Amino acid sequence: MGTQRSDRFDEVEWDEISQSRWFEPSKNTLGVVFCTLPLALLGIYDWQVLGERTATFAFLGTEWNLEGIDYLFGFTLVLFAFYVVAPLYQNPRMTRYYWRQFKRNRPAVVSLGWLGVVFVGGLFGPLVVSAPEQSVLTGHQPPVFLSIDAANVATCVGDVVGGRCQGTLQHPLGTTQGGKDVFASIVYGMTISMQIAFITTTIVAAIGVSVGTVSAYAGGWVDETLMRFVDVVLSFPTLLMFLLILYIYGAGLGMFILVFSLFAWGGTARYVRSKSLSVSEAEYVKAGRLTGATTAQVVRRHVVPNTASSIITQLTLLVPGFLLAEAQLAFLGLGDSAVPSWGQLISAGRSDLSFAPWIVLAPGVVLFLTILAFNFLGDALLDALNPEAEAENE
Amino acid sequence: MGFGTYVTARVMWAAVVSLIIVTITFLLLAAAPNPEIQRAATQAALQGGDPAEAAERARELRGLDEPIHVRYMDYLQSIYTLDWGWADSRSQPVTTALAEGLYYTAQYSVPWTILTILLGPLVGVYSAANMYSWKDHLATGFAFFGYAIPNFFFGIILLLMFGVWLEVIPVVYDTSVPVFSLANAIQLSIPVFVLVTGSIGAVMRVSRNESAEFQHADFMKTAKAKGVSPLRAYAYHVMRPTLVPLSTTLVGQLLALFLGSSLLVEVVFGIPGLGRVTYNALIAQDTNLVLGSTLAFTFVAVVGNLIEDLVFTVLDPRISYDDR
Repeated sequence: MGTQRSDRFDEVEWDEISQSRWFEPSKNTLGVVFCTLPLALLGIYDWQVLGERTATFAFLGTEWNLEGIDYLFGFTLVLFAFYVVAPLYQNPRMTRYYWRQFKRNRPAVVSLGWLGVVFVGGLFGPLVVSAPEQSVLTGHQPPVFLSIDAANVATCVGDVVGGRCQGTLQHPLGTTQGGKDVFASIVYGMTISMQIAFITTTIVAAIGVSVGTVSAYAGGWVDETLMRFVDVVLSFPTLLMFLLILYIYGAGLGMFILVFSLFAWGGTARYVRSKSLSVSEAEYVKAGRLTGATTAQVVRRHVVPNTASSIITQLTLLVPGFLLAEAQLAFLGLGDSAVPSWGQLISAGRSDLSFAPWIVLAPGVVLFLTILAFNFLGDALLDALNPEAEAENE
Repeated sequence: MGFGTYVTARVMWAAVVSLIIVTITFLLLAAAPNPEIQRAATQAALQGGDPAEAAERARELRGLDEPIHVRYMDYLQSIYTLDWGWADSRSQPVTTALAEGLYYTAQYSVPWTILTILLGPLVGVYSAANMYSWKDHLATGFAFFGYAIPNFFFGIILLLMFGVWLEVIPVVYDTSVPVFSLANAIQLSIPVFVLVTGSIGAVMRVSRNESAEFQHADFMKTAKAKGVSPLRAYAYHVMRPTLVPLSTTLVGQLLALFLGSSLLVEVVFGIPGLGRVTYNALIAQDTNLVLGSTLAFTFVAVVGNLIEDLVFTVLDPRISYDDR
């Protein structure tokens, strides 16, 4: 920021107040770079030095291994911390205002709490909870406080009372047919869901914002071409195309995330374009232009901040679609079988539904609650971040 | 631009979009090793023949040794003349297999679409008229529930309740009953219910929020002051303007659901419709049928978007054709 304030508007030195050169990184950008560097170095080390089968942290004596998608997830987390969380901390006044607006919507506060649980569980759960393991003998264990006919279980971990196997705290949500702990599987599924949510939203936001602003500012044939391209993207049957790709090439979770996020940015781009067009007509942008702001400065300081809130809302409402698609594919047995997602668990329990319903119910309810929470959150953000909508209502 | 020009331009655009998608499928297929050729090579190797020679013969048989532009033109021609090849896994032409699937898909899709289009806006406007009453809260809760619950999960639960425990509906869809019979209506009721719950939520929310705007509009005050009955006032002055923005989201919503959920619902309930044809083809590695069903769904999506845009311009005379 400028060291001294000018008395008159036309004496404002743009060079002092805003970034004088095109690239003069802010504190947050520096933070991103500093956090990404070790991550990238670790990635290169993992990729080039270590063998295919060596775990990344083998030198620490652990089996903990990272894959491509984990690095991408780490990068999006860094972006999230420095471009969403840090600005909220840096502008406490706005944060308090948003929070007051947001607080009025009680379901949304509960939703935020639930998503917080999923986020923390997905991030740190795998470090605390050990991975679910096959153990055929202890299959079909009931959840704690429930019981199952002892004829359905090979070995009962808890007590057998009156011919019924009682659930134990060792398996709080019971086990699957193969003896995998349902609770541990759900915790590991949280990681998958969070990876899908963070990576897809980052890709969608990056492409959507770039295409939208470029389209609005370039105008002419560039605008026309890009918008027609958006039309194609919007009318693209993503799930079917993914099935086709899956059929021809086979596809893992990484491919899923890539395909779905590459065909989901259409709405965002359209929205950013229309918003940029309206912002560029605003008085303050005209004033900025008169005092010599370049297009890049206008885009960075006026257009993107003004569209950010709505983009966040839109992205929040996109995430449940991705989670659902992943669950659907996993349920059909077409997902990445190496990935312990919720849909995988639902499909695993389907054949035992009549006597062991918890295998389907537990992940199903968690999936339902997560999708519900994202929807409530998106609805509340729409109200909290958009003061214009409120002004219209009053 | 006049209406006629706009319609022509829009139809041409739909044709271009379908061409782009068909091209993408061609490129995907052309860039990948064909499983049928691999199968031929494996078979030759197993029978003591020369796998390379067998692969070459299989490639020649399918015309894959031609230059790529010739194959592309061939491909386009056969796609657009509906010559979609032979479905090995079902021993019938692909188009016949798809038509058979469509027969069953239509049986639940038609009631589902009609119910969503009729009930969604009605409940939405009703809930806007009684905003913040318990009825509105109930409707909102139902909308969010339907929107958030995964269709296949909901289907499994209902199938467990009504199929296994109460034994009201058959666990696996019975194809032997006639289309217009009570038994068919009963066995399709649960899939239709699941799909309606999934799609009606969004329609209800949009129509509720949109009609809330018109409720306190000046024309409604005038209508009330003139003594127009509430039913008539809502039907003529709230419902009609609400339907315009709704029509933009409705088709897209229904199509997205149709493409995704019909597959899941058919697999869960065992209905041998289009979705299940696709699924079985994927499992059986039947390339022609996989491609055929993908393209069938794609064309439905393209035509649906086209109809949506055209209906929108007919419904709302305020739209200028130049802006779009």
